[in-house]
Amino acid sequence: MPITIALAGNPNSGKTTLFNALTGSNQFVGNWPGVTVEKKEGRLKGNRDVIVADLPGIYSLSPYSLEEVIARNYLIDEHPDVILNIIDGTNLERNLFLTTQLTELGIPVVLAINMMDVVKKNGDKINTSQLAKELGCQVIEISALKGTGIMEAAKAAVDTAGNVKTIPRHGFSGTVEHTLAHIEEAALHDLSEERRRWYSIKLFERDEKIIAKLKLGQEQVQHIEDSIKSCETEFDNDSESIVTSERYAYIESIIKGCVKIKNKGSLSASDKIDRIVTNRWLAFPIFALVMFIVYFVSVTTVGTFVTDWANDGVFGEGWHLTGGSAYEEAAGNFEIERLKVEVYLTAAREAGLNAEAVAETLESEEPDEAVVDAFIADASAAPVAAQLDVTDEEGNLEETLSVSATDFKTALTAEEPDPADFGVWVPGVPVIVGRFLEAINCAEWLQGLILDGIIAGVGAVLGFVPQMLILFIFLAFLESCGYMARIAFIMDRIFRRFGLSGKSFIPILIGTGCGVPGIMASRTIESERDRRMTVITTTFIPCGAKLPIIALISGALFNGAWWVAPSSYFVGMAAIVCSGIILKKTKLFAGDVSPFVMELPAYHMPTAGNILRSMWERGWSFIKKAGTIILLATILVWFTSGFGWADGSFGMVDMSDSILARLGSLIAPLFAPLGWGNWRAAVAAVTGLVAKENVVGTFGILYGFAEVSEDGIEVWSELSAAFTGLAAFSFLVFNLLCAPCFAAIGAIKREMNNAGWFFIAIAYQCVIAYVVSLCIYQLGLFFSAGNFGIGTVAGFLSLAGFLFLLLRPELKGQPLKTGGAFGINA
Amino acid sequence: MPLTMAKIGEKNSIKKVGGKEEARQFLETLGFIPGTQVTIVTRIGGNVIVNIKDSRVAISREMAAEIIV
Repeated sequence: MPITIALAGNPNSGKTTLFNALTGSNQFVGNWPGVTVEKKEGRLKGNRDVIVADLPGIYSLSPYSLEEVIARNYLIDEHPDVILNIIDGTNLERNLFLTTQLTELGIPVVLAINMMDVVKKNGDKINTSQLAKELGCQVIEISALKGTGIMEAAKAAVDTAGNVKTIPRHGFSGTVEHTLAHIEEAALHDLSEERRRWYSIKLFERDEKIIAKLKLGQEQVQHIEDSIKSCETEFDNDSESIVTSERYAYIESIIKGCVKIKNKGSLSASDKIDRIVTNRWLAFPIFALVMFIVYFVSVTTVGTFVTDWANDGVFGEGWHLTGGSAYEEAAGNFEIERLKVEVYLTAAREAGLNAEAVAETLESEEPDEAVVDAFIADASAAPVAAQLDVTDEEGNLEETLSVSATDFKTALTAEEPDPADFGVWVPGVPVIVGRFLEAINCAEWLQGLILDGIIAGVGAVLGFVPQMLILFIFLAFLESCGYMARIAFIMDRIFRRFGLSGKSFIPILIGTGCGVPGIMASRTIESERDRRMTVITTTFIPCGAKLPIIALISGALFNGAWWVAPSSYFVGMAAIVCSGIILKKTKLFAGDVSPFVMELPAYHMPTAGNILRSMWERGWSFIKKAGTIILLATILVWFTSGFGWADGSFGMVDMSDSILARLGSLIAPLFAPLGWGNWRAAVAAVTGLVAKENVVGTFGILYGFAEVSEDGIEVWSELSAAFTGLAAFSFLVFNLLCAPCFAAIGAIKREMNNAGWFFIAIAYQCVIAYVVSLCIYQLGLFFSAGNFGIGTVAGFLSLAGFLFLLLRPELKGQPLKTGGAFGINA
Repeated sequence: MPLTMAKIGEKNSIKKVGGKEEARQFLETLGFIPGTQVTIVTRIGGNVIVNIKDSRVAISREMAAEIIV
């Protein structure tokens, strides 16, 4: 007979750590029925007949938050064999509040008091046997972090299941008990005895969900209502508050006999840290410093290194396991030799010699030695001498080499080093797969599909994984040490002004790396309204994949002007702020921002295992997506860009004849008002939907370059001919703001979990991108060149509409439901 | 007086919790019930972090103004 243990406890009580310790890797993740809240179950280590179900972190079994409703529905309907209630020993009173409710359910309860190591270190004492007697259930001391007492707790739970009944020992004051008895008699006599207690209390609290569940008749409800009213009159309070107060009064009474606190009233370590970290003056500087370190490591230094490794190494030519520096040196030396040849030929031309013949033969596969020798003879007779300036990476002059005819001759013999000759060379995935496909004589179109379609597309996305993992390590650390909750608190005052919660800042922050985990991070926001708004706006901030587009436009059209990149972030931030203000004034989001109430966990040092687990869970869900939706999308784009009708038949064609190009020409007029109505730009924007960095690559292909570097330097001249500065900036802004890549769109769909909201999000992003680009182009044209046309009118109208939405008074809406479980660990 | 006016580090006893039904219920669940000791740890732009029943709770200014001590 399998036994089910339900793991229940407050947020921040160490429940997740305990769950991981109990189940190890035997976990399966799903969703609770009908909602996006994650449901985790696992098999107990060493006893596979025992299933452990991890309930959401909750403070109570009230009907006010999604988490609480999920937890209590599970407990009532599924009736697990035993509840293992984990309790934070440093915060006993508040944690026992939930316990008093759990013991009323008629399900055996075992208490696991966590963080006993901290309790002992503080010099406090908890008399667990006394506590067990008072509460009527077994009490085990554990430390989830240190791993002590965990298996004892599990064993106690297994032994208790089915054998021991937990009968609530606590009672309420006379009048309340009297009313409860009355309710039981009037409405609950059909239920089994052990369940009546909980239902009668819920009916006393006028819990609408329970009234509906019991299908009470109008008459019964009225009958109960009368006795509740008279009780409320006596206490001069509402029934729910009466129960809450009575519970706390009871807890206080038993705690006195069980707990001895050594330093009552003195500041705890967490409070001392908070005095500094959330201090009025220091909060922002400390916050800025932390963000700078996270960004510096995960996006610039280490992040760039691992991304280059993944993109150019694993999904490129290949990479050196060892011997990389030797190869770099050899490659550098070869480059110098090559330059020597170049400068010498130039010098020879300047000296009046005919160097064309030799230059031509050197370009060919097998240079004609006679021609080369003749040139060298001529040059040494002249004599021709050249100078080569050797510079380092930053362009500083290192040394000047003089190049003579003999040097020229030696330089010609230099051979390009093969990376495979140095140390351990690991070829990239495309190289390995390419060789394999050739070895098995694979059809050419299939090779194209696999190499240029699937591996190039999926690889481009997977290339970001190592960088994201680094970012996730930092985030997991900030989250589990307790600082993340403080960030939300610090940012709340600012974000509140434009209709977002302080908790929205975290997704945006992560979004600067990649929008997918950014959108997923919005899950920690419990107010549905705030969460939806955050999901819609998060991808406005330029993510890592949008940086190549910025580099391309700024390099090609603005000579790499310094202001282009910062302006992109500015546009992104402004879009978030304006959207917050606009959206909160629409009917969909009207109402008061839910009040900010959040429990802050105590600061503590997280364990490496927990951080790695959290990093991997997030990273894996991204990788899975790359393997599904992105895979399909890349195949589609590959197909439509490689196939089409040419010369009256369907088949493989140049990209300019492809289906994609036709579609591009079809939709291009749509973008004409934005200044870039040519089909190439339209196609580039569309392929940006697969992955934003595709925009650069697509331009490369469309202008006939096989491969372009990350900033697309090869196509700069073509682009500057095709775009005006204004049109290019409008193109840039459109691509920054419009619907994100497929991976992020998939994440939006999943987080919204509702087709309507998903559509609203994508439509809003596209519309705002179009409107802003239109305003930029048309108004820019009007003010710079004085052009006036129908587009200008449209531009001014859009601007007016935008300003109206931004500045109109707020709608008075229904007050919104507040969130419930305000914990940060969902 | 409302909790927003309390001094940092000073112990106060809660007299009444007002405000909208659900936010109030949630505060009560966290232990904000009459007679309980509450101490402000820090304050930033009107938002406060308080110590109550050995836990720390962050509360926005609007909500803190509804807690009378």
